[in-house]
Amino acid sequence: MRIGPYAVTLEERTSLPAGYSVLTAVAAIVLALGLASVLFRSPEASLPDAYRAMFTYAFANPHGLSATGQRAIFLLFCTYAFLVPLRAGLWNIGLPGQVYAGGLAAFAVPALLGVAHAVPSGPAALPIVAGMVLAAAAAGALVGGAAGFLRARLAVNEILVTMMLNSVLFWLVAYMIKEGGPFMSATGEGESFRLPAGLQGPTVAGMPFTAGVAVAAAVLLDVLFAKTALGYRIRALGENPLAARYGGILPVALSLFVFAVGGAFAGLAGYHYFAAVPGVYKIPGNYGYYGDLAFYGVISALIARRSALGAVPIAVLFAGLSLGARFAQGLLRLPFGVDYALLGLLMMTFVASHVVLHFRLAWRRARPTPGGRVPADAAEG
Amino acid sequence: MSVPTAAATTVLGAYGITKRYPGVLALDGVDFEVACGEIHALLGQNGAGKTTLMKILFGLLEPDEGELTLHRRAVRFRSPHDALAAGIGMVHQTRRLVMAHSALENIVLGHPRQRGLLNLRAARQEVEALCARYGLPLDLGARVWQLSEGERQWVEILKALYRGARILILDEPTSVLTPPEVQTLLAGLQALARQEGVTVILVTHKLPIVTAASDRVTVLRAGRVAARLRTSEATEAALVQAMVGREVALRASRGDAAAGPPVLRVEDLAASNDKGLPALRGVSFVLRAGEVLGIAGVTGNGQDELAEVLAGLRPATAGRIYLAERDITRASPLERWQMGMGYIPADRTAVASIAAFTLVENTALTYHFDDAYVRRGLLDDAGLDALTQEIIATFNVRTPHRRARAHHLSGGNLQKLILGRVLSRRPRLLLAHLPTQGLDVEAAAFVRSALLEAKAEGAAVLLISEDLDEILALSDRVAPIYEGRLAGVLTRSEADPATVGAMMAGLRR
Repeated sequence: MRIGPYAVTLEERTSLPAGYSVLTAVAAIVLALGLASVLFRSPEASLPDAYRAMFTYAFANPHGLSATGQRAIFLLFCTYAFLVPLRAGLWNIGLPGQVYAGGLAAFAVPALLGVAHAVPSGPAALPIVAGMVLAAAAAGALVGGAAGFLRARLAVNEILVTMMLNSVLFWLVAYMIKEGGPFMSATGEGESFRLPAGLQGPTVAGMPFTAGVAVAAAVLLDVLFAKTALGYRIRALGENPLAARYGGILPVALSLFVFAVGGAFAGLAGYHYFAAVPGVYKIPGNYGYYGDLAFYGVISALIARRSALGAVPIAVLFAGLSLGARFAQGLLRLPFGVDYALLGLLMMTFVASHVVLHFRLAWRRARPTPGGRVPADAAEG
Repeated sequence: MSVPTAAATTVLGAYGITKRYPGVLALDGVDFEVACGEIHALLGQNGAGKTTLMKILFGLLEPDEGELTLHRRAVRFRSPHDALAAGIGMVHQTRRLVMAHSALENIVLGHPRQRGLLNLRAARQEVEALCARYGLPLDLGARVWQLSEGERQWVEILKALYRGARILILDEPTSVLTPPEVQTLLAGLQALARQEGVTVILVTHKLPIVTAASDRVTVLRAGRVAARLRTSEATEAALVQAMVGREVALRASRGDAAAGPPVLRVEDLAASNDKGLPALRGVSFVLRAGEVLGIAGVTGNGQDELAEVLAGLRPATAGRIYLAERDITRASPLERWQMGMGYIPADRTAVASIAAFTLVENTALTYHFDDAYVRRGLLDDAGLDALTQEIIATFNVRTPHRRARAHHLSGGNLQKLILGRVLSRRPRLLLAHLPTQGLDVEAAAFVRSALLEAKAEGAAVLLISEDLDEILALSDRVAPIYEGRLAGVLTRSEADPATVGAMMAGLRR
C-alpha cells in the first residue's frame, strides 16, 4: 500500500522489544473495556460507576476477592489441562468432561468408604482427603487419556472424542447426584451430598490449599517445557510431528502422556470447585455452569500461549471480570449477559494484540537509495 | 540461423528492476533483455534473484522500481493474466497439471475460448497440428498420471503455446528429467526457437544445460547482473566465476576406497508407498565401512521409500536390514540413532528441522536422548549451545545468532546445520538423501566434501541422489534404481554416464 511518498507493508517482527508483550496486553484490556462501555451504559448509573462497581467487587471487596481467587484457581487448572496437550499440537477442547470426572471421583472416595455421612476429622481424615485429590486427578487422566489413546493409536480426532465424552460425563454426573442417585443429598435437592467438615479441602489463611498446587504447577510446567528432555520432546512433536519422528520421538506414548496430564489437571479443577471451595463442598445442581466456565481455561491458554505462569494474571483477570461484571449487572440492572460479553471482547482484543505483537507496519520511502545484502532464502521466494 | 543481435530484435526487456522483501534487496537495478527467437539462459545460484526476476516477467510480482517493455513499448503486468494475454507463458519447476485428466484436457484448461462449452474436437485438431509441427509424439488422450515427467513437461509447454505464447519461461526444466528426456527437451526448444521464432528463457543453475542449449546467457549474483555473454564466447569456468564471484573447484575429489567390514546389509527389502502400493520391490545390497554407495535414479522410483525404511520411518513389508550384523528391520528410529545410524532426509524443512525452533533446539533433535546431553531429565543447555556453536563454526553456517529460529536460515545454511548435527554424532552409517538438492554451487560443494570426509573417517555412506554428476563424483559403487528395484550395482569404472543413465531409465539391466 502506498501513502504519499511512503510504501506501507505489514512485516513480521524478527525480535520483540522489551516489555512489549505487557504493553500490548494492557492495551488489549483497556480496549476491551472501552468497547464494553456501550453495554455498560445504564439509566441507573454512570459508566465510571459501573466500572467502579465491577472492579471494586472483583478485586477490593473481601467476598468478591475471595470468589475471584477461587475462580482463578479453577481457571488455572483448566488452562493447564488445555496447555499441556496444546504444546504437543493436540486440542483438549472438551475438558469439561474431565472436570466432571474429577468431581465424581473425589466424591466417590468417601461414598465408597462409607464415611460420607459419618464424620472423621483432624489428622485421621487427611489420608482420605489425599485419596480424593488423587482419585480426581486419576479420573481426569483416564478420561483425557482415552482421547489421547484414540488419537495416537487410531488417529481419531481428539476434538470430537473429547466433546462427545463431555456429554457422557455430563449425564453421568446427573445420574449420580439427582434423586435416587448414589451421591444424592439427604434432602434430595438434585445435588450431591455435602462433604463432612473433615473431608473438605484444607484451607490456609482462608484460601484452599489448591491455590498453592495451582501456582506450583505453573512453575513446574514452565520448567518442564523450558528445561527438560521430556518437555523438549512434547514441543518438538507439537511444532513438527514429522521432524519429531525423525528425531526418534515416539508420538503414540507422548500423545497419551500429554492427554493424561491434561486430564489430570482438569480433574483437579473439578476437585477444587466441588470439594475445596469454601461454602460449596458438594456437586451442585448447576454443575454444568462450571463445565462452561472451563472453556475460559482454553481461552486463557490460547492467550498465554507458551507460559503457564503467564496464564496466572490472565486467569485472575478473567475470574475477576466475570464475577465483577455479574455483580455490577445485578447491582445496576445492566443488560443480561454483560459478563459473558465482556469476556468475549477481552478474548478478541487479546487475539488482536497477538497480531500487533508479532507484526509491525513498516513505513518506507518509496524510493530509497539502493544497497543492502541479499540473504539466500528470501531473495529466492 | 545466426544469433540475433539484441538491439535490433529485443522482444522483452526489463530495465532497472529493483525488488525488495522485508530486510532483503532481492533485485537491485537489474537490466535484462531477450531477443526474438533466442534461447536465453538465466543463470545464478539460489538466492541470486532468478526466481524473483522470472516472477516479475510473468506478472506474479510487481517490481518496486524499473520498467518492463514488450516490443519496446512499456507494459505493466498486474497479474499472470496480463502476461498471458501479452503472449508470455511459464512452465514451473513443479508440474501444475490435473493428473486425472487427459493431456488434451489439461492443455485446453483455462483457455479463454473454453469458458463455457468445451469443444474438444476442434481443440484436438489444433493441438495435434502443434504437435506435428514440433515433431512431438504425445498421446493427447492419455491421462497425465500415465505420462512420464518429460511428457508432462511438454503438456505444459503445449498449453502455453496453445494459448498463443511467443515467449516461454521455463524454470529449472531439466531438474526431474532423465538424460534422454533432457536431450529431447533441448532439441525441441531449439526447434521452437529456430523455426517458429519463439523466445525461450531457461532459468537454471545447471551449467551443462546452459552451454548445450542457449544462445546467450545472463548471470545473476546477489540481485545484480554479474555477466551477460554469448554462450559461444563463454567457458564453464567463466560462468561459474560469474555465479559465485570467485573460483570454485567444480568437482570434489574422491578419496580411495578402503573396503572395510560390512556396515549395512539389506536383503530383499520391500515397502509400500503412502497409497499402499508396492514402491520398493526387493532391494539387496551390502555397504561397507569407508565407501560411498550411490543410488542413482529419477524421482519416484522408490528412493523415498528406501530412505524411510532404512531410517525406520516406514515399515518394511518384506526383507531384512542388518546394521553391523544386527537385525534392525523392526528397530525404532531412536534405536537406529543410538546404534550409530545418521540420516539426512531429503526434506530439510518438513522433516529434518523445526522451523520455529532455535538452532540450538534443532541441534537437540538428535541429542535429546543422549546421556551426554541429558542429566536427570534436564537438557544440558550449555552443552548443546557449545555443540551448536561448534557445528556453526565447523560447517560454516551463516546465521545471525545460534538462538535465531531455523526458518531464518537459507536452504544451504540449514542443510549445513543438519549435516553438521548428523555428522557430529560420528555415525558409522550415513544415509544422505538428496543432500545437495536446491543448494547453490558453493554450498553443494561443501556438503559433498563433508560426505567424503565422513567416508574417509570410516563411515559407510549411502548417497541417494537424482544428480548423476554428483553420484559419479562421490560414489565408489553406483546402483541405479528403477521402479523399486536396483538395476545392478556397478563399480566406479563400469559406471559411465551413458550406462547409468540408461539403467536409471529402465533401458538396460
